[in-house]
Amino acid sequence: MIGGATAPIGVKGDHGVAVSQEEHLRELSKGYRFDWKDESNSVFVPKRGLSEAVVEEISARKSEPDWMRKRRLKALKHFEQRPMPWWGADLSGIDFDNIYYFIRSTEKQAQNWEDLPEDIRGTWDKLGIPEAEKKYLGGVSAQYESEVVYHKIKKELDDIGVLFTDMDSALRDYPDLVKEHFGTLIPANDNKFAALNTAVWSGGSFIYVPPGVQVDIPLQAYFRINAENMGQFERTLIIADEGSYVHYVEGCSAPIYTSDSLHSAVVEIKAMKGARVRYTTIQNWSTNVYNLVTKRAAAYEDAVMEWVDGNIGSKVTMKYPSIYLLGKGARGEVLSVAFAGKGMHTDAGGKAIHAAPYTTSVITSKSVSKDGGRTGYRGLVRVEPGAHHARSNVRCDALILDEESRSDTYPYIEVEDETAALGHEATVSKVGEDQLFYLMSRGLSEVEATAMIVNGFIEPITRELPMEYAVELNRLIELQMEGSVG
Amino acid sequence: MTSLTFDEAAFELLPKATEPLQRMRKQAFEEFRALPIPSQETEEWRYTDLSEFELSFEAHLPSVMRTTSGQDLEGLGIVFCDLDRAAESHAELVDRHLHTLVPTDRTKFTALHGAFRTGGTFLYIPRDVRVELPLQTLTYLDVDDAAAFPHTLLIADEGAEVTFIDRFASPDLARALSDAIVEIVVGDGAHVRYVSIQEWGAGVTHLGIQRARVGRDAEFRSLAIGFGASLARAEAETVLAGAGGFSEMLGVFFADGTQHFDHRSVQDHVAPNCSSDLLYKGALRDASRAVYSGWVHVRPGAQKTDAMQTSRNIVLSEHAKADAIPNLEIEANDVRCGHAASVGPVDEETVFYLESRGIPRAEAERLIVTGFFQEVLDRVRLDEVRHNAELAIQEELAEPSAEVVS
Repeated sequence: MIGGATAPIGVKGDHGVAVSQEEHLRELSKGYRFDWKDESNSVFVPKRGLSEAVVEEISARKSEPDWMRKRRLKALKHFEQRPMPWWGADLSGIDFDNIYYFIRSTEKQAQNWEDLPEDIRGTWDKLGIPEAEKKYLGGVSAQYESEVVYHKIKKELDDIGVLFTDMDSALRDYPDLVKEHFGTLIPANDNKFAALNTAVWSGGSFIYVPPGVQVDIPLQAYFRINAENMGQFERTLIIADEGSYVHYVEGCSAPIYTSDSLHSAVVEIKAMKGARVRYTTIQNWSTNVYNLVTKRAAAYEDAVMEWVDGNIGSKVTMKYPSIYLLGKGARGEVLSVAFAGKGMHTDAGGKAIHAAPYTTSVITSKSVSKDGGRTGYRGLVRVEPGAHHARSNVRCDALILDEESRSDTYPYIEVEDETAALGHEATVSKVGEDQLFYLMSRGLSEVEATAMIVNGFIEPITRELPMEYAVELNRLIELQMEGSVG
Repeated sequence: MTSLTFDEAAFELLPKATEPLQRMRKQAFEEFRALPIPSQETEEWRYTDLSEFELSFEAHLPSVMRTTSGQDLEGLGIVFCDLDRAAESHAELVDRHLHTLVPTDRTKFTALHGAFRTGGTFLYIPRDVRVELPLQTLTYLDVDDAAAFPHTLLIADEGAEVTFIDRFASPDLARALSDAIVEIVVGDGAHVRYVSIQEWGAGVTHLGIQRARVGRDAEFRSLAIGFGASLARAEAETVLAGAGGFSEMLGVFFADGTQHFDHRSVQDHVAPNCSSDLLYKGALRDASRAVYSGWVHVRPGAQKTDAMQTSRNIVLSEHAKADAIPNLEIEANDVRCGHAASVGPVDEETVFYLESRGIPRAEAERLIVTGFFQEVLDRVRLDEVRHNAELAIQEELAEPSAEVVS
């Protein structure tokens, strides 16, 4: 399945040469392990395109309260009125009329993997999710197309009042909590894609951790797109009450098709006084998925918010997890890894808004581009008036592995308080010849040596991941490296 | 005197110019009328609001003084004169280069400049000629409601060497506009040092664009010193167009009162094996505001590029604010590019150290800020320019803080 080692890339300057669909697919799937497709398994015939009727239908199928239906319809208006972003990646390839906005793949959410339809269960088995759940997860949520098909939380967590459920169930089971927090950090008109998500959202996770509760094993959600031209719009809301701790991990993948899919999530997180939330993403969409995600967290007094954001896949990613430091002494950290191979544009980064005194933030970004890929760091550190003694440090390093690839850095630093101290540093370079030479003189091939250097380069991020994910990320990087040098 | 708005009648009143210049003016005038005032909605003008800016001034010819440090220039074939006069005497050179680096249709203000500029400085250094001492133009404006369009076109032919100082000054005025353009062509193997000293008085809005094209194995060093104007937007751009080129861009500024500085820079690496280094340092007091945004572009094929970009800002009072946006766009892999930016107050630990040695706080802060600027000034090889900048910084530091209206 992995064609990387055998098929030399040799596509330099082949513009104008007709590439058959098959070749195109082969090229896309090189090194991608998650390229299997299940037969269509929708429980009703899905429709393409977006309209009020589609939004009404989604809302009706979910039997939602009226306020949510109205919110969706209003958001649709925002979406229609807003222009496409003029900055960032090229989004002209998105055909909003050709996308499925809602596909229901099972009638009923399962609590046991055995209860899922066979092909869907096979997908999760191949991804190793049930296995991981047994070993080291406190809860698992598995979303297939538009909805969460499997969901389970460890009994111990359930017993101490930790709520971990899918967003649709949360709206049904905890309507007041959802209504109080939904869309408060990311209002529908925040940006075009947040508006789209608000209009057609489905699935995603809802987590509430009661005061003082430490959830010491990660909760995980896994998102899978199966259908071609699928639009996945999950919506996640995490509330860590005072003094609590939770680590949430999300992963994702999709099969490879000739035409594109769209993933546009909204994630809102509130870390109340003294709480700590860590949100880890290993994004490995296939290279025909547009990944346009809005992620925002609020950190109150002495709270700690950490985004660990690994972007390895997708055709286009535009995602800048942000932290609003709203309480005195709040801390924020963004660790971002971006990878872009052939045909990919990964525009990632992070934002820290200091709105209270003695707040600190650290943003570390590492990006690697190769085979004509383009990575970007886009970030903002802003100190509001009165946020005295704010401290921030931003560090971005980029590695460009060949002449066709590209790296951009767009850091914004805005300071409205004289006691704030902010620093930003960035470097862009290639793999050091002397490092390569040293490793090769010890018997490593050029590919192995490069992969080792790249792994060392992103090590500041991988060491922050749980072991299993660090291994996975390193393996993904190695796979991406195969056949890339020479 | 022309009327207060840049209309047809004012345009008709301009003194006659050469045929190609007339054509350029006419086209620029059309562009001026077609283009909008830059909006904060665009990334380029995000930090400077000109939406309320009244474009009603009298086009006014400022006093211009050119000094040659007593050197015999004609004997060396150097041309150093009024730009309109050069358009007649050296038509071929002027027509070939004027508004090629900064085209008139770039913004409404460059178009206005193209349409209404008269005068300016033309400097041409022939092949392999070295000018020992600095040449200088002083542009002086002392009329309220006047708009000046300073223009410097500097062409250093292959292997030539020159140092040029462009100085802009005025007393405090009710209001005035300086719409300035500097175009510098650094021929293959040539060495050019360019210093701009912006000392406009309060009331002046300064919108300046400086763009240099650096040829093969050529060297361009620029220094921008900015203390003046109420609002100063200064764009400095270097295009490294030939292999082996080098560019150094230094900037020193000190903002006080309610001054607004918008500094923008571009290091555009088109050719391989070039290096560029940028260092801007600024201090802010009172309720002043400074923005630095810079771009390093490395174009495909510009291998072996070595580019560095650094912006350091020291904030000395509560109501001052500074923004920094150092951008990199890298499309080649065998490069070394970096940037660094910082915004912060005077380091408390250093103050504490000095205080513990018996130095009063105010004096300690003065010493720290002086040291902060020294890193740039040490790289200025022109003694007089360095000395004057040092004096100006000391003067700024000695001034009592302005009353802040909040």
